[in-house]
Parts: sequence; C-alpha cells; structure tokens
Amino acid sequence: MKDDPMEIAELKTELERLHSASFGWALSCCRRDRSDAEEVLQTVYLKIFEGKARFRGESSLKTWLFAVIRKTAATEYRRKLLRTLRLAPETETPPDQIATHEHPASTLERSEEQVYFQRALRTLPRRQREALHLVFYEDLSLREAADVMGVSIGSARQHYERGKRHLRESLSQMEVGYGINWGRKENPSAV
Amino acid sequence: MESIGDEKRIRALFSEVRFADEQAAPSFTATWHRAQSRALRPRRAFNLSFVTATALLILAMGGLAVWSRYTQPGDMKAVAATAAANFSVKISTQLDEPREDPEISNAAVNAQRRLRTPVRSQALNVARNRQAEQQAKQLANWQSPTSSLLASPSDNLFKSLPQLNENANEMKSFLPNRSNDKEK
Repeated sequence: MKDDPMEIAELKTELERLHSASFGWALSCCRRDRSDAEEVLQTVYLKIFEGKARFRGESSLKTWLFAVIRKTAATEYRRKLLRTLRLAPETETPPDQIATHEHPASTLERSEEQVYFQRALRTLPRRQREALHLVFYEDLSLREAADVMGVSIGSARQHYERGKRHLRESLSQMEVGYGINWGRKENPSAV
Repeated sequence: MESIGDEKRIRALFSEVRFADEQAAPSFTATWHRAQSRALRPRRAFNLSFVTATALLILAMGGLAVWSRYTQPGDMKAVAATAAANFSVKISTQLDEPREDPEISNAAVNAQRRLRTPVRSQALNVARNRQAEQQAKQLANWQSPTSSLLASPSDNLFKSLPQLNENANEMKSFLPNRSNDKEK
C-alpha cells in the first residue's frame, strides 16, 4: 500500500467520505468512549497506511472498513483490560463500566427519551447492539451487517430480532416510570 | 403494525444519535495525520516481556552450562581418587622408588612423570576390572533370604516323573471285563 501513492490517495478520499460513519461505528464498538474511539480509528488508519490492513475488493469498502474497526476495537479492548488487570489490580473495574466519558452538557442537551434509549442500548449484549447499530444507524443490510460482524446472515438476523425485542422491552419498562409513550399505537380518530 | 412503528421509532432514535456523533466527530485530516505521525515515530525495538523471557532463558542456559562443566570433572576426580586410594601403595612404590635415588637426573624424573599418566590410567583400569569381577561374583553367589522357605519334604514327588506303567497295571484289577460284555 505504501508503494502505490495513487492507490492510497484514492483510498484516503474514500476514508474521508466514510469518516463520520466510521467514527460512529468506532464509538459503538468502544462502548461510546470517545477517546477510545479516536484511538481505534487512528490505529485503523495506521494499519491501512502501513498496509497491514489491505482492501482486496472482496466486499464493499464500507463493510471491510467496519470489519477492521470492529477487530481493532476488540484488540484494543483486550489490551486495555489486560493492562488494567496487570498494573492496577486494586482498581479492578472492567473497561465496560468505565466507558462513557461523555460531555455532561451534551448529555443534558439530549432528550429524556434519548437518555433512556442509550441506557437501554447499553444493557443489550454486544452482538445485538452491533446488529442494531449497523442496520439502523449505518443503514446497512443484514447481509452487510453479517459480513461486518463476521457471522452468517441467519445469525445476524437472530441478533437483530432479539436486539429489537430486548430494546423494546427495556424501553417499555422505562416508560412505566417516566410516562414516555413508547410503542404507542397510532390512533387517527383521537383528537 | 406495532413493530413497524417500533422500527421507525428506533430508527429515529438512532438517527438522532448519528446526528450528535457527526457533530462531535474529530476531523478526518487530524486523525489521518496523527496516524501518519505514529507510523513515522520510531518504535521500541523490543517488547519488555520478550526481553525478560529471553534474558531468563539465556541465564538458565548459562547456569546449566556452568553447572555441567564443573560437575563432570568432579565426578571423574572422585572415581580417580577411589581407584588411586586402592592402589596407592603399589603406585607409590613403583613411582617413588627412583626419586629416592639421589643420583637420578632431572631428565629421568621428567621421563618418569611422562610415564606416570599411562601407569595411572592402567592402574585405574585394573581397579575397575577387579571391582567388576567382585560384583559379578557377588551377584552369582547371591541367594534369596527366603529361599529356604520354598523347600519341602515332598519336593521329590513334584520333581520326579510318575511311573505310568505300574499304575496302569494296578488299575486293571478295578476295570470291568470288556470281553464278557461283548459276549453278552
């Protein structure tokens, strides 16, 4: 990849086009930790720059890039976990719980429903969360989502359906306490 | 109908998140340049754990080499010392006799010293052979302490063959008369 500047220039343009979507996906893979997502994205670009990650045209560029991001995030997560366990056993908290370093202002700006939604998303298993993110956030088909997740389409569909059901259930439980109309049937006759 | 409404709602919530993320995303150029600078940065040549493991391995191998070097000659010395102790009198008489002669020259002493090594090795060989012979004799003469318990007065019956002809003759008187049966 380094030897061919034209190819890397072309790739760079494509990466720039997909950058915000890639960042969103990296955020999802890093449990909404912004600094981790940035680090992962940098590592991914570095891998591409050094030719360690090579696009061979076997799938779409977006699918390939997302698969690389997912794999890199998993590796970084494992490394971080190992470092935490090795260096500071007394502060043993899995990075999953340390994660969300969101700016308080941005949290306040969000609607109440959005906050509950984020909370519900966090309770989902990783695969289900990934399937929902790829389909709803990135507008990928189930086939593409399966490619990114490295699973069969049937498995991806199962994760997607279960994720949707779990999300609906958790949001319904939350609405009981806060009176948010989730899953309300549209009633045109109502005034 | 409800599920379609749910999907729409989920999609709307996700698009809200996407919008917020797009606003907060770092610029591509900055990220790309940081990645490039990381690529150009000289990396640490060795991994710390790898270095530690290699150092430990080298130390272990060095220790083993030193240990093997200093233990093997020691064993040989011990064998030589025991053998030499057995024949010290004989060797000393053989070797020390010329020394007692005051007229003997230095050249003769050197020559005897040169001879000392084959003589000593020969003596060691003799000692080893003798020891081996003694061990062989001891092994040949060895008897189990419980062997006497296996002996019994009826050993002859078990060790000798039975005389079958005599027994058959004795048994004839007890057998029914077959010729009489056929006549009937």
